[in-house]
This record gives sequence, structure tokens and C-alpha cells, in this order.
Amino acid sequence: MELSLCESGWFAAGSAFPLSCIHTSTSLQKLGKWEKKNRIVYPPQLPGEPRRPAEIYHCRREIKYSKDKMWYLAKLIKGMSIDQALAQLEFNDKKGAKIIKEVLLEAQEMAVRNHNVEFKSNLHIAESLAGKGHYTKRIRLHGKGMFGIMKIVKCHYFVKLVEGPPPLPEPRKTGFDQAKEYVQQLRSRTLVHTL
Amino acid sequence: MGGTEGHCTGGATKQTLHLFHGAMESLLRPPRAVPAFLVVPVRTKRRLFVPEWARELPHEEKEKRLQSLIRTLPEERMERTFYLACTASIIDPYVPPEGDARVTSLSKEGLKQRMEKLKQTAASQLALRKVKDHDPNFSTKTFPEVAQEIYVEAHNSLANFNKQKLHSLVTERCYPDMVRGNRYKTIRWSFVESLEPPRVVHVRCTSVVNQGNLYGQVTVRMHTRQTLAIYDRFGRLMYGGEKLPKDVLEYVVFERYLVNPYGTWRMHGKIVPEWAPPKDPIVKTVMIPGPTLDPSQEYEEMK
Repeated sequence: MELSLCESGWFAAGSAFPLSCIHTSTSLQKLGKWEKKNRIVYPPQLPGEPRRPAEIYHCRREIKYSKDKMWYLAKLIKGMSIDQALAQLEFNDKKGAKIIKEVLLEAQEMAVRNHNVEFKSNLHIAESLAGKGHYTKRIRLHGKGMFGIMKIVKCHYFVKLVEGPPPLPEPRKTGFDQAKEYVQQLRSRTLVHTL
Repeated sequence: MGGTEGHCTGGATKQTLHLFHGAMESLLRPPRAVPAFLVVPVRTKRRLFVPEWARELPHEEKEKRLQSLIRTLPEERMERTFYLACTASIIDPYVPPEGDARVTSLSKEGLKQRMEKLKQTAASQLALRKVKDHDPNFSTKTFPEVAQEIYVEAHNSLANFNKQKLHSLVTERCYPDMVRGNRYKTIRWSFVESLEPPRVVHVRCTSVVNQGNLYGQVTVRMHTRQTLAIYDRFGRLMYGGEKLPKDVLEYVVFERYLVNPYGTWRMHGKIVPEWAPPKDPIVKTVMIPGPTLDPSQEYEEMK
């Protein structure tokens, strides 16, 4: 009964032998900094402290889309609650909108399952970024034997969800406020090097 | 190496033709010192070698020699050997009597339960004898204290995430059950006191794969008071409380690889009876997904 390792892997779970697995390598890809942010563990809170809001970091790497185009969508979502963001992305015509929506749903699922978030709607988007991925260069042929170097462009998308309602947007500074500040500055001047 | 003289056309070409023939002949027959009597042996590969004294043996003796060879040759080619340090489950699990800790030991039923000692079950006695064969220091009177110490140490090292120590105190079958889901959580566990002295309730012995590859399993009944608090990744309380002691009645199974002289007794698993009181719910509310509806249906109609 000579079995090689690959053949023994086909045994059903009903065998008496524990199957030895030869997967001895470490993780397949190097983890990026954003993924590692999900691993920090805070010490237990004392009973008097306010409840620390949960933070969930999620990203998708090497999306076939331009980082400049993705930036518009990332800026659109920043600061919204997750339901509002999903609604806006669903009816947006850009290609990146579909991808970002998938990322947000994945992050929501992860939050509820792994990070002890109670209500999946009680999340808002604290940070949402688009970064440059790996570019590959190719030749693009023009007429008259001329050529250009074409860049095939990829981007990464990062999102940070925080538990709680979205923070209120800061009120814009009106002219009256600016004038008041100016007058206050003038009044608070002091005279130096005098009696 | 004289070549045959072919028909030549001119005087100058005759010499060249000679030379050409001579070169061809020398190519075909290289001028090496080849002895005439060299014989290159060509034969097939030697498959079975039978020495001369064994060639004319009767049939039975040949069979005997063949059998002995088969026994010495390895039959299974183990490319990667594995070592079973523990069994995969609890053998013949102990069925705890109903209402074990609910009834006071002063009433009639309580007395009956107390009288159910280890000596009544014959299988346990047999297994106990086997265990004492391999481990002469084992005794049902001293073992429960050792078992409780192992239990407390194992839970403490789980709370401190001391993996090496936990592996030495807990079998490989029990380790993932204890550790799953705890990587990014903080656990605070403490042992307050033992309400009743622990006692051995059940002993079993099994062999896995080969006869004589013995593993012994001992069930110990423990009635203790403990506190448990689990905090999630952000330090928020998920379950239990640090100052809430709870009474816990458990049947903990300890296992040891008896044939290994350096084997130790390690925690193997727990038996939770069906009549046990339900555990406290976790602090957060959990959503249970409902049935998938068509756009035309409504949930109230379905109910």
C-alpha cells in the first residue's frame, strides 16, 4: 500500500489517520500596513471610561482603474454613514462605484462577524482613500511608425469604518465670523516696550 | 589500407582518388589497436538472484524463504510519518446522572447518587487496571487534585496566551476548541474556590491503529466557582463580568498516552450534559437572517 502524499489527500474525512498537510509556507503575500491595522488589541476598559468606538480597516489592492478617477468616488463617500454611501454608490454610473460598494459590504460583514459591532447600520466612513497600484508599461502604436509608451494603470482603495453616527459637518465660516475674528484680534493687541 | 583502384580519367586525378578512398577507409575503420579476440558481453538485467546452494531446494523451503523475505521488506512506504499524541474524541463518554448537583446529598436520591462509586462499573475497573499497569503511581484518590491543578494552570495560560505551556497541559484535540476566536480578545479568568472535592468518575482505555497503542482517558467531576470576563479587540466587555462568580459543574476528561514513558496527563475535553442550565447570553444583540422574500411578498403574510 504505497501512497504518495498527493494521493493520501483524497481520503475522505472518515479515515482513522490524521492527514499530514505539507503546506509549510508562511502567508502567500506580504501583508500591507492597512491590513495590519486590524490586528491591534486595546487593553480592557475601566468601568468609568466612555465606550471606545470600534474601528475597522479594509482595503482592496490592484483594482484595474485609475487612481485619479477613484479619488472622486472616495471623496464623495468620505464622512457619510454607510447606508447613505451604499445608496449613493449604487446609482453612480462609474466603474469604480461598483467596486467600492463591494468593498464596503465586505467591510460591514467583517465588522459584524469579527469585530464585535452590534448594529451594522451604526457605522460611518471615517477615512476613504485611493492610492496608486503597480503600473505596467506597454507600447501603443501610432501612425507613421511612431509609438508611445502606454501605462496600464491600477489603484488601491482603502476605507476605515468607525462605529457610531457620522460626525456633523463643520459649519462654514461666514463673512460676519471672519469680521468678528478680525475685530477681536485688533482688540487683543498689547503695547510693548512702553510705560 | 590499400584502396581498390577505380577507373581513373587523368594522371593528376588518380592520386586524388586514391587519397579520397584511403581517407574514407580510414574513417570507416579507425586506426586503433583493436585486439581480435575482444568480446563485448551483452546480457539482460539480473532480476532474481538465487545462490547456488538454494537452486535445487524443494518447493516448501523455497516458499518459506520467500515468506521470510516479505516480512523483512517494508510493506508501507511512509513518506511522512505522523505521531498520534492524542485520540480524536472521548471514548465511550460518561453519561452524568440527571440532577447531579441539584439534589442535596442528605436526601434519599442524593445518597443513591453518592453510592454510585467507580467500583460499580466493570469497564472502568478494567481500564483502571490497564492504566495502573503502565503508570504504577496512578491512584483514584490522588489524581483528582492533580487534575484540578492542571485545569487551573491550563485556563490561566489561556488567559495569558502562553501557547507553549498550554500545549503541554492540553491535548491537540482540545487546544483548538479552547483557542478558537480568541486571538484578538482579552480573557480574564480566575478560579475562586472548589465547592466539592473533585472525584474520578469514569476511566476508559483505547488503542488506536495497532493493538497495544494505549491511550487512557479519565473523567473527573468538578464543582467549582469561577469568574470569567471576555473583552473584545477594543477593550469592551463581551461576556461575563470580572466580579461575578459563577458555579460550574463540569465533567472534564483527561488523557494520557500510556505506552509513552514520558507521557503526561493532559486535558482532553469536557462533557456537557443536556440538562445543564443554559449559559448567559452575550452582551450584544445578534441579527438572525430571515427567509428570503419575493418583491411581491411581505413578511407578515408569510408568518
